[in-house]
Amino acid sequence: MSLALRGVGYRYPGVAVPALLDVDLHLGSGEVVGVTGASESGKTTLCLVVSGLAPRVVGGRIRGTITLDGESVDDWPMHRLAGRVGIGFQDPTSQLSQVAVTVFEEVAFGPMNLGVARDAIVERTWEALGTLRIEGLAERDPRRLSGGQQQLVAMAGLLAMRPAHLVLDEPTAQLDPAGTRLVAEAVERLAEGGASILITEQKTDLLASVADRVVVLRDGRFALDGPTDEVLADPRLIELGVREPAPLRLRRLAATAGVDPALLQPAADA
Amino acid sequence: MPELEARGLVHVYRDSGVRALDGVDLRVAPGERVAIIGQNGSGKTTLVRHLNGLLRPTEGRVTIGGEDASGMTVAQLASRVGLVFQDPDRQIFSSSVTAEVEFGPRNLGRRGERLRASVARALVAAGLADDGEANPYDLGGSRRKLLALASVLAMETDVLVLDEPTTGQDARGVERVREVVEEVTTEGRTVIAISHDMRFVAETFRRVVVMREGRIVLDGTPDEAFAHESWETLSSTYLEPTLAARIGHRLGLGPTPTDEGLIAALAARGRTAQ
Amino acid sequence: MAGRERLTRASHSGLPEWLGRPGPSAYHRLNPLTKATLATVTAVAAVALGGLVGPALLVIGAVLIPAVAAGVLGRLLRLSLLLALPIAISAFLVNLFFFPGGRTELLRIGPIVATAEGLGFALEILARILAISGAVTLFYLTTRPSDLVLDLERRGVSPRIGFVANASVQAVPAMVERAVQITAAQRARGLDTEGSPLRRARGILPIVGPVILGSIAEVEERTMALEARAFGRPGRRTLLWAPHDTAAEGVVRWLLLAGLLVLVVARLAGVGP
Repeated sequence: MSLALRGVGYRYPGVAVPALLDVDLHLGSGEVVGVTGASESGKTTLCLVVSGLAPRVVGGRIRGTITLDGESVDDWPMHRLAGRVGIGFQDPTSQLSQVAVTVFEEVAFGPMNLGVARDAIVERTWEALGTLRIEGLAERDPRRLSGGQQQLVAMAGLLAMRPAHLVLDEPTAQLDPAGTRLVAEAVERLAEGGASILITEQKTDLLASVADRVVVLRDGRFALDGPTDEVLADPRLIELGVREPAPLRLRRLAATAGVDPALLQPAADA
Repeated sequence: MPELEARGLVHVYRDSGVRALDGVDLRVAPGERVAIIGQNGSGKTTLVRHLNGLLRPTEGRVTIGGEDASGMTVAQLASRVGLVFQDPDRQIFSSSVTAEVEFGPRNLGRRGERLRASVARALVAAGLADDGEANPYDLGGSRRKLLALASVLAMETDVLVLDEPTTGQDARGVERVREVVEEVTTEGRTVIAISHDMRFVAETFRRVVVMREGRIVLDGTPDEAFAHESWETLSSTYLEPTLAARIGHRLGLGPTPTDEGLIAALAARGRTAQ
Repeated sequence: MAGRERLTRASHSGLPEWLGRPGPSAYHRLNPLTKATLATVTAVAAVALGGLVGPALLVIGAVLIPAVAAGVLGRLLRLSLLLALPIAISAFLVNLFFFPGGRTELLRIGPIVATAEGLGFALEILARILAISGAVTLFYLTTRPSDLVLDLERRGVSPRIGFVANASVQAVPAMVERAVQITAAQRARGLDTEGSPLRRARGILPIVGPVILGSIAEVEERTMALEARAFGRPGRRTLLWAPHDTAAEGVVRWLLLAGLLVLVVARLAGVGP
C-alpha cells in the first residue's frame, strides 16, 4: 500500500502565497518518513494536505495529484479518506471527541463513525489500546488524563480506524518530558511494528530514532530529502532552522575540535 | 537592581485543595540566570506566579529588594517582575505587532520617546524588527512566541520570568531566546526560566533549580545538577541529564552538561595523553 | 496498518462489562429520555398550574421524593438553590414591593411599600422557580449527558445534534478557564483589573479578544480532528451500547406528556384557580 504526492501545491483560502509548492512524496508500506523544518516552513500544511483535510475541511486550492495505491483521491470525501489515512495533532485535548466518557468509547469513536460492525469495533479498540499499551486506561475518563496519556489515547483512536497510513503532526510538542517519552516510545513501537507513518517534529532526536527517511521543508518546498542519517548530518541543517540531533552535533563539534568522534561512539547509547 | 526572595512559601489551591508548594526557599541575586526544572505538577508555574503577585502565598512570603510583596498590587509588581506565559495565544489581542508590544509599557505609564525606544529595543532583541506592522495572527508559532517575549521585554523590568520559552520554537527561536537571556543578564537584570529542554537549560543558565512535589530538591550549577550524583534526583521527577552529561560520565570526564564542555574535556584529555 | 506483523495483544477482548454501567439507584437506571420527560413535564406543569399548592406538590412528588430515592437529596438542594437563588431573590423582591395590584400594606421603607398581595404573588413565583430548578437539577444529577445523546441517537436523532449540545455544555468551563489564564497573563503585563470602572472597562478587550479568538481556533481544530475521524460520514453510526428502556417506560412517557397536554389546554381554556 502506498500514498503518493506528485507536484502538489497548496494555497490557504484568502492567502496569495502558496503554503506548499511542487511537493513529491512517497509513503510506502511500513515506511516512516520524518518531516522537519523551521517554524512556518509548511510542516503542518503538508500534514493537512496528506491527510486530505486541506482542502476538504480547511478550504483553499490544491494542485498536483495525490494517489492511494495508484488511485487518485481527488473526488474522495473526507470520511472515505479518514478510513485510509489517519491524522493526529499537537494538542491532545482538542482531539478528544468530547462525547466519550471512557477511553474505550473514545478510541471506538472513529470505527463507530465508519459504521463498522459492533464486534469488529470492540476487537479493533482492544487491539489499538494494546498496541499503545494503555489497556489499563480503558475505563478512565479521557478528559482527566495527563497530556501524554491523552496523546496516546488520540493515537489509539486513529489506529482503531485501521488506516494504512498515519500522519502525526508534532505529537510531542506540547508535552512535558514524561509525556514526550511515552509518546516517543509509542511512535517507535508503531514504526517497528510496520506502520506507515509521516511524522513532523522539531525534536530531531526523535526523528533520528524512528524515521527511515527525512525531508526538511523551507518555504513550502523540500530543501532536503533523503535517508535519515544523511539528512540529519547535513551541514545545511542549521541554516534551515533545524536543531541538530544531539549525537550528530557532538560528532560535528568533535571533528571541528580535532577530537576523534569515535571516542563518543561507545558511549552514545549511554 | 533588587534581590528576589521567597521564604517558606506554601501554596494550597483553594478549589482543589492541592498543596502545590510545600515550603520553598529561593533567593535570587541581581543578574542571575536561573532555570527551574521538574515534571508537570511539580510546582514550577505556581512558584513563579508568586513572584509577581498573581498568586499569593498560603504561608511564607516573597520579598523584592527587601520589600514585602504582599503589600504591592499585581500592577505595581508587574513593573518590577515581568512574566511571559507559555502560550502566546492567551495574551495576544492587538492588530499589530507594535501595538501588542506597547501594551505592557503603556500600562506602566510609559509614553513618548521612552515608550518608542523600549518597544524598538524589545522588537530588535526578539528578532521582530521587520514585523512591527504585521498582524500577530499572521505570524507562525515561533514568531508569535517571540512576540509574547518582546511584549514583556519592553516593560524593562528588573526581573524577567519565562515559562517554557522554547516549546514550539524552531532552532532559530531557541537561539533567540538564549541571546535575550544573555543580554538581559549582562545588564544586571535577573532571568528565571521554567524549561523542559535540558540542552537549552545546560547551555543557557548558570543555576539550575529542580522541583518535585512542591519542593526544591536540588539547587546548583548545571555541572552539579547534571552530575552523576544528581541523576537519581532528576529521574525522580522524570528528567534526564543531557546526552553530553551521560557520555562525559561514561568516559570518566566528570560533569560535562553541554556539548561544548564535553568536547573541550575530551580535547584536553587528548592533549595530556600525548 | 500494513506490511509487517501487527502488534496484537489478546489479553483483553469482548465488550467491557462496565460500559454504560447502570447507575447506583433505580431512579438513575431509568431511561434518560424518561428522566428528561419527567423534568420537562414537572417544569412546564409548575408554570401551568400556578398558585402555591400545585408547584409545591410537584416539588415534593416529582423532585424531592425521587431525589431521596436516588440518594442525591443533599447535592440537589445545594445545587438547585444555588441555581435558583439569584433569580428567586430578584423576582421575590420585585414582586413583594412593586406588585401592581398591591393594596394591603405590610411594610413601608421610605417610598417603597411591601404589600400582602405582592407577597402572595412573590411566593407563587418562588414556588415555580424552585420546581423548575429542582427538576432540571434532578435530571442533571442522575443522568450522564452522553447517555441521553446515545439514547436519542438510537431513536434516530442525528448524532450531530447531540454532539453540538454536549460540546456546548463542555465548552463553558473550558472558556472560563481560558478567561482566567488570559486575565492572569494580561495582569502580568500591568493590566489594572482592580482600579476604577473606567480603567477596568479598558481591560475588557485584552481579555475578551484572546478568549474569542482562542475559542474560534479551538473549534477549528476540533472540527478537523472530528472530520479526520469520519464524523462527517452520512448514514448511521454503529453504537456500542444504548441505555436500557422498557415498554412500560414508553407508556409512562406518553401518559406524562398526554397529562401535560390536558393540563395546558385546560389552563388555556380558563379552567382552574
